Amino acid sequence: MRRKDDLGHSWTNGGVERAVIRIVRRLSPGFARKRITKKTRLHQDLGWDDYYPLRVVKPIRATLHEELEDRAVLELKTVGDLVACVWNAMEAPA
Amino acid sequence: MRSAAAVCVLVALAATAAAAQQPNALGHWELLVGHSYSSARALMQPATFTLEKVEGSPLYSVLDVGALVRGSIAARSWIETGLRARAGSARPESQRLYGAMARVYRELDPVLVAVGGEYQADGGFDVHSLDATAELTPLGGLPGLGTWVSPAVHLRWRPWIGAAMGDGVQPYVRLSADWVQGRLEAGVEETAWLVSGSGRSYVKGDVSVQLLGGVFVTASGELGRSPPTWVHTGRIGLGLGFRLAPGD
Repeated sequence: MRRKDDLGHSWTNGGVERAVIRIVRRLSPGFARKRITKKTRLHQDLGWDDYYPLRVVKPIRATLHEELEDRAVLELKTVGDLVACVWNAMEAPA
Repeated sequence: MRSAAAVCVLVALAATAAAAQQPNALGHWELLVGHSYSSARALMQPATFTLEKVEGSPLYSVLDVGALVRGSIAARSWIETGLRARAGSARPESQRLYGAMARVYRELDPVLVAVGGEYQADGGFDVHSLDATAELTPLGGLPGLGTWVSPAVHLRWRPWIGAAMGDGVQPYVRLSADWVQGRLEAGVEETAWLVSGSGRSYVKGDVSVQLLGGVFVTASGELGRSPPTWVHTGRIGLGLGFRLAPGD
């Protein structure tokens, strides 16, 4: 199944996952890509503090063309939660 | 009594304002409990019930706890409102502390800005202050800022710069650092103010071992002068810590 971002670009769930993992990896220096999966915990595994998750908002807007709410981002626990958050924000086919 | 009422009014106003901004906000609010509501380390540091040794005084029991409620008000903004208390059965009133605050955050990547109001009082409500505060922190961008230095070095730090406006303008800087290794957590937070042309500083630190879930054995200490009394304090303590926050 494919969904559309706010600019009308078509995405698969796997494509969203790969894009999100690239963003998370750029924000987590030193972590190998293979160490970052949907199960990776933002706070416990990557060491992000209370406010650091807000850094994903801008690159997700630029890459995946979705506007995430700050409070929703602050409540995320895993990379998988972030993937789901972006995926759910995309427009599902009618 | 009047001061206590002011605390309640401040918190109630904040909650009401937030709820008014978002009619279904109650479903998005979360409660967090820790050592303090007011700092960058607020949610990392467990609330504590400790036995402590104060310079020149006998052994005290101290309960140090803060609670924070968070909710959304807009896509790029959210609000926090909280209460804190430092009390204890044998603690002198002058060294007790009660406070309440409401603070609105605005994310402006690459920085985060917070403005709010904070009320603080000593145990007898003899010395109290009501300040407006504004502070700023960079979200990241330097090694260890907001995230671990590397996968092998679980150390992170965060700086804040701000000003409190009440009885004059008091600029301040705050620097916190955390280190986590398995069940062991350690942290230190230093705040330095410029008050009436002279510098004052306050540092607190803790080392905690997680026992189960949000329960810890915690050794903590503090040294320096902090508002509202600016009385010099120095103490070390050992006791139980607890933390209630998402992810714990």
